[in-house]
Amino acid sequence: MNKFFTKIIFILLLFFLLSPLTVSAQQSKTIYLTIFWGDGCPHCHKELIFLDKLKTEFANLQIRKVEVWNSPENAQLMARVGQQLNDRITGVPFTIIGDQTIAGYLNDETTGESIRQVIKQYLDTGSKDIVGEVMDNQSPQNNNPEVIATPGKFTLPIFGEINVKNWSLPMLTVVIGLLDGFNPCAMWVLLFLITLLIGMEDRKKMWVLGSAFIISSALVYFLFMAAWLNLFLFLGFIKIIRIGVGLVAIFSGGYQLREWWINRKGGCRAADDTQREKIMNKLRRIASEKTFWLALFGIITLAASINLIELVCSAGLPALYTQVLAMSNLAPWQYYGYLLLYVFFYIFNELVVYLVAMVTFRAIGISNKYVRWTNFIGGIIIFILGVLLIFKPGLIMFG
Amino acid sequence: MKVVRFSAVWCPSCIVMRSRWEKILQENDLSWLEIEDFDYDQHKGLRAKYNIGRDIPVFIFFNSQGNEFARFVGEVDRKELIKFILENKKS
Repeated sequence: MNKFFTKIIFILLLFFLLSPLTVSAQQSKTIYLTIFWGDGCPHCHKELIFLDKLKTEFANLQIRKVEVWNSPENAQLMARVGQQLNDRITGVPFTIIGDQTIAGYLNDETTGESIRQVIKQYLDTGSKDIVGEVMDNQSPQNNNPEVIATPGKFTLPIFGEINVKNWSLPMLTVVIGLLDGFNPCAMWVLLFLITLLIGMEDRKKMWVLGSAFIISSALVYFLFMAAWLNLFLFLGFIKIIRIGVGLVAIFSGGYQLREWWINRKGGCRAADDTQREKIMNKLRRIASEKTFWLALFGIITLAASINLIELVCSAGLPALYTQVLAMSNLAPWQYYGYLLLYVFFYIFNELVVYLVAMVTFRAIGISNKYVRWTNFIGGIIIFILGVLLIFKPGLIMFG
Repeated sequence: MKVVRFSAVWCPSCIVMRSRWEKILQENDLSWLEIEDFDYDQHKGLRAKYNIGRDIPVFIFFNSQGNEFARFVGEVDRKELIKFILENKKS
């Protein structure tokens, strides 16, 4: 009998001793999922519905929903989490499960399934709560999370498999870059410079000064675009800034459409005589400068100052483009790659006009009918982008 | 008939119209037409005389009495321009 009681007491002791461990083990199996989302973002909305379904599927799944567009604090939290993860989080939805991250959300079958698979990986072990650690000011140990891309592919005859998100942003870059390049502010300076260069006897100087003007213009514009981009990467999450850029885009698109409508005859509108003559005299001095290095320095500084004016001239196109770019979830090299692509197409018109003039010794002009239709197409695109930025930003999140 | 043209070296539309005008002169005998070319930057005084605004290029047509009877501002289609000149030859 005593032996029996001894056994019972031993079993009970063992149970009580082990039970906290059992509870502790169950707690450690909790899987932490955090979604950073934006109010009004359709992809986020789809993912939130999916996550609610997942909650019933996995009892130990703990979901934290962090809205970032209406809350600067939450946007800062997202930026802090990104810093801790060494991962620039620039778009929503952005999901963190344990130490893995998932950027974007296409549908339940693709991204949803990816989320489900990641959760399953943690079923036996549970997961870390990296966002919770950041909220408690603790650094997560894993600084290199595995990023799972959002698939967005479909198959077309002849073209084969097309990834929509891979094509939308490059197309947008080319269109806005070209449109920006049709701006007349810098073109008139180049045309005047060309007339001076063609008259030069020194062919080497002609090529160097002309090329320096084009390259400096491109470089200065690239630097300004990079500054815009970095500004929006840090502040672009804030709703009021996004809406502000959207309003600028609506205004800019409306202005382009107005230009298309009223400027049917084409032609050039001369700026203020004093300002124009000042620039023309500077160009004449540079062209007649005997010291080569002084001429080169002069043309570079003039190109930089002209492109400063050009920024005002282009009616917010760089701001709009960099805001859209900042909302896309891309690697840093991709951001700058897109900026280079933009600047190439921005400078493309000038490059063609310059090269033809240098080879044929005759200035060419791009007919106003092309400028008009660029205004029309670009105006519509920019106007739509502005509306989307304000009301449906999720639709223009690429990457 | 006389035509007065205002253009500038820095204006793309003026360059486009210059090549159209050259083609018109190559393809048609317009020796009867008096042509005066002025640069927008170099002939400021004449800008006021001919009432040239900020938009260029400008083609102003004068009849034999020296009165202005037509004015084109901006880019004009080459065929449209030559048709207009030939139709008004006796002006």
